[in-house]
Amino acid sequence: MSGEPGMGEKTSSHEHHAVGRVVRRKDGLAKVTGAEQFAHDIDLPRMWYGRVIRSPHAHARILSVDTAEAEAMGAVCLTYADVPKLKYNERIVSTPPFLYRDRQVLADKARHVGEAFAAVAAPTEALAEKAVRALKVKYEPLQTITSVEDAMRPGADPIHDTVRLEDAEIPIENNVAVRRNVEVGDIEAGFAESEFIIEREYSTQPIYHAQMETKAVTCRPEPDGGITVWPCTQSIHNTRQLLGEIYEIPLHKINVKKIAMGGSFGSSIQMNSVIPICVGLALKSRHPVKLVTTREEDIHDHVRYPTNIRLKLGLKKDGTPVAGHMHAVVEIGAHNIQAFPFLGGLAGFWASLYRLPHMKYEGIAIYTNKTPTCAMQGFGAPQVTFAVESLMDEIAHELGVDPVEYKLRHYIGLGGTFWGQGPAVKSIIRSDGVSELLRIGAERIGWKDRHAPGSQTGRYRRGIGMARGFHTSGVGHPKATGAEMIDYSGAIVKINEDGSVDVAQSLADHGGGTLEAIAKIVAEELGVPIDMVGMSPVDTRTSIYDVTTHATRGVYAGGAAAHKAARTAKGILLDYAGRVLDVLPDSLVVEPEPQLGQGVIYCPNLPERRITVGELAKLCQLNSWGTISAVESVRQVNCPPAYVIYYVEVEVDTDTGNVKTCRAALGSDCGTVVNPDLAAGQLIGGLSKGSGYALIEEARWDPETGELLNRGFWVDGKTPAMGEMPPLEDIHTFFSDTYEPSGPFGAKGLGEASSNPCAGAYANALYNALGVRFYQLPVTPEKVLAALAREDAA
Amino acid sequence: MKTRTIAFTLNGEPREVVVRPNDLLLNVIRDHELLTGTKYGCGIGECGTCTVQVDGKPVLSCLTLAVAADGCQVVTIEGLAEGGRLDPVQEAFLDHAAVQCGFCTPGMIMTSRSLLDEIPQPTEEEVREYLRGCLCRCTGYASIVRAVLSVAEKGA
Ligand code: FES
Ligand code: FES
Repeated sequence: MSGEPGMGEKTSSHEHHAVGRVVRRKDGLAKVTGAEQFAHDIDLPRMWYGRVIRSPHAHARILSVDTAEAEAMGAVCLTYADVPKLKYNERIVSTPPFLYRDRQVLADKARHVGEAFAAVAAPTEALAEKAVRALKVKYEPLQTITSVEDAMRPGADPIHDTVRLEDAEIPIENNVAVRRNVEVGDIEAGFAESEFIIEREYSTQPIYHAQMETKAVTCRPEPDGGITVWPCTQSIHNTRQLLGEIYEIPLHKINVKKIAMGGSFGSSIQMNSVIPICVGLALKSRHPVKLVTTREEDIHDHVRYPTNIRLKLGLKKDGTPVAGHMHAVVEIGAHNIQAFPFLGGLAGFWASLYRLPHMKYEGIAIYTNKTPTCAMQGFGAPQVTFAVESLMDEIAHELGVDPVEYKLRHYIGLGGTFWGQGPAVKSIIRSDGVSELLRIGAERIGWKDRHAPGSQTGRYRRGIGMARGFHTSGVGHPKATGAEMIDYSGAIVKINEDGSVDVAQSLADHGGGTLEAIAKIVAEELGVPIDMVGMSPVDTRTSIYDVTTHATRGVYAGGAAAHKAARTAKGILLDYAGRVLDVLPDSLVVEPEPQLGQGVIYCPNLPERRITVGELAKLCQLNSWGTISAVESVRQVNCPPAYVIYYVEVEVDTDTGNVKTCRAALGSDCGTVVNPDLAAGQLIGGLSKGSGYALIEEARWDPETGELLNRGFWVDGKTPAMGEMPPLEDIHTFFSDTYEPSGPFGAKGLGEASSNPCAGAYANALYNALGVRFYQLPVTPEKVLAALAREDAA
Repeated sequence: MKTRTIAFTLNGEPREVVVRPNDLLLNVIRDHELLTGTKYGCGIGECGTCTVQVDGKPVLSCLTLAVAADGCQVVTIEGLAEGGRLDPVQEAFLDHAAVQCGFCTPGMIMTSRSLLDEIPQPTEEEVREYLRGCLCRCTGYASIVRAVLSVAEKGA
């Protein structure tokens, strides 16, 4: 395979007929012809349209909502009085002892500008819009809190008085949502042992997910009191369970359909806020109701966790890290969607980057009256990797050693312990392509030929930076009980009477090709051509549980479930084949037969004994032996790191402060590469999103009013577009020749890892270009110019 | 509000639709005609997902009043494949893995088609310039640029 973008490259390939092959993706045809159905596209008979009313105040009690005028227009209205009051947490990935619940379907208080507190449904969208504008609301504005300092100040208005943890209401003091501390070794002794100490502070900003599809949902009430729901979601089963709990509907009467997601990047791990509102409207109106949010509404609904990291490191003279102390302050906005696991994730990713015998981590999450924060591609890894990779680069320069060599000496690789997501999720590393990737990348980018930091003087200055990182592949670990997070997948594999195969999995595909990989894994195991494997449309009533497609677990954990189901089905297939061919099943193999276009079962020692998969399946039917099928649930007991390395070259215009990306070399260790072309696309997508995070994107609020200041993609905000990317020939993607023993056909994750080291690489490239360190993201032209002015003055 | 009947061809078929003066072409295509391949991404001309062709030119249907399409030929993503045969741009998007979540894809493909109609042999720079208003959050764009260039290379 070539190193061209879009194709990827691997140093060697294993002999597989499906895994690792480049084929057109199965859902591609629907997507290029406009036939794919997204949540926006659902249309049902008798369908009404929903609209919500959102608070113009950042913090206000909703004293009353007068619905008379809207109802007179023929709209059905839903207010706090109409909905269940149960407090829930919208992301039921964490188990109950770790689940802080502060949400309600509609609340009697608004906690950020744009929070929905009432809704209407009407036969047309225009009427719904008119009706929502006719709602008369009385607010009692409360103190607007837009900073961590203000939130924690004595006497600050509480954003939440109490939240629910299991069956108890627990008080919230000083707007502190949750704290989490982790300690390893003996921190005091560690610092005492250290020969020099370095301390830095890094801040990362909130950014909007900017998935191209705004959140939308349709709900149809069913005659038996049940509901059918078409949402944007990364987990149909968790959405179903939450709706069942909130509306007290038995789960078998709730059918949540899996439909294509127009991007999510973490913003639909949780049940999005409009989903239960839409259900409430449908139940009240007894009509199917569709609720599509506008872009502006969506921007007010979710952002990435901004994180302030203070990091103190104690080292030996030769640069060996001995002790580390990290303070992480996370401003979570109006709701605690997953702050506790996020704080754990920061600690765990930190602990997994470089060997550190003594560490102390103190994390705190604070409520403010801003857009609620949630996971976004990397869940703490982009934040902590930016800090640590910047600091390690800085230390290497202090010591006068090559940062690549320095990092290779101290990183946690083969045989080390990886914390997949916080202190409760750990396993031993069994595959590691880091040194191979760093070597290839260094060659591609010309690492050895880079300028000395700050040695250039012209208007345009170039710099090359490197960073290393990873994401976890799922959150599997070996402990049998007491897990902090749920992590398992299920799959159904069924062999049809013509030799084709149906795979039903509730796993969601973000677009990166997870389901494509699943089809290849099943085809590989069963010995049928990839064309003969179909990914079934699924819903919660006909599929088995999968926690959610997050934590880069799709191929590794979801793939393991599909692999197991395929293996079981293959066992049945071979048993029947043995009966028909009069040979022992163990003597049989299945292979795709290109001429027949399907799998053939044969005995290598008695080659005339052969039958196609289709013939056998048909025979099973005609003889009434049954359908060859299997259902399996699999929990992985490991969480292998999906390593990614970045080298980027930037050019800084010292007159404007503009930073251009000139070249990039991106390497991934995802174990066996299942979809080479799509995997390369993931890396390049990671560069685009990661460069936006490093250089341009930032959600900002007016400190007085709490109003969100950027509400778009171009004018008052900016999302990386085509022009920000380097030319094709200057983007290199490559993969290490690794095999993960615990993964399906040796595969592990890739998705989120693809942008995790990106900001660190940019910060280091900027240092290389200018001789100046940047500790705050994004590194905007203003920050570059200010830094250059400071340099000049110094 | 006063309504008005407009007549246009949609993917080659004549259509008459009663619209209000402030109806957007995007909504007429999606809600009236139930052609949901054309996407709403922002409604303010910042993302390109709603791109259709009006008389051969790429148009942001979220910023175009339906009445402006009166008498015009409108082509959406559903109309690009002729007689069931995919347009070379569609083929190229499949072959170059230029599709991830697929939400930006219809707008990307429609804009790319217009680009290739206008500039049959674009340079990479021209592709990037022409498509700069089409956002994609998934792919990082490289596969899309490559797909478009490959169509030009084949002269399709
Ligand atoms: S929806 Fe028309 S440009 Fe975004
Ligand atoms: S493929 Fe997802 S936005 Fe382009």
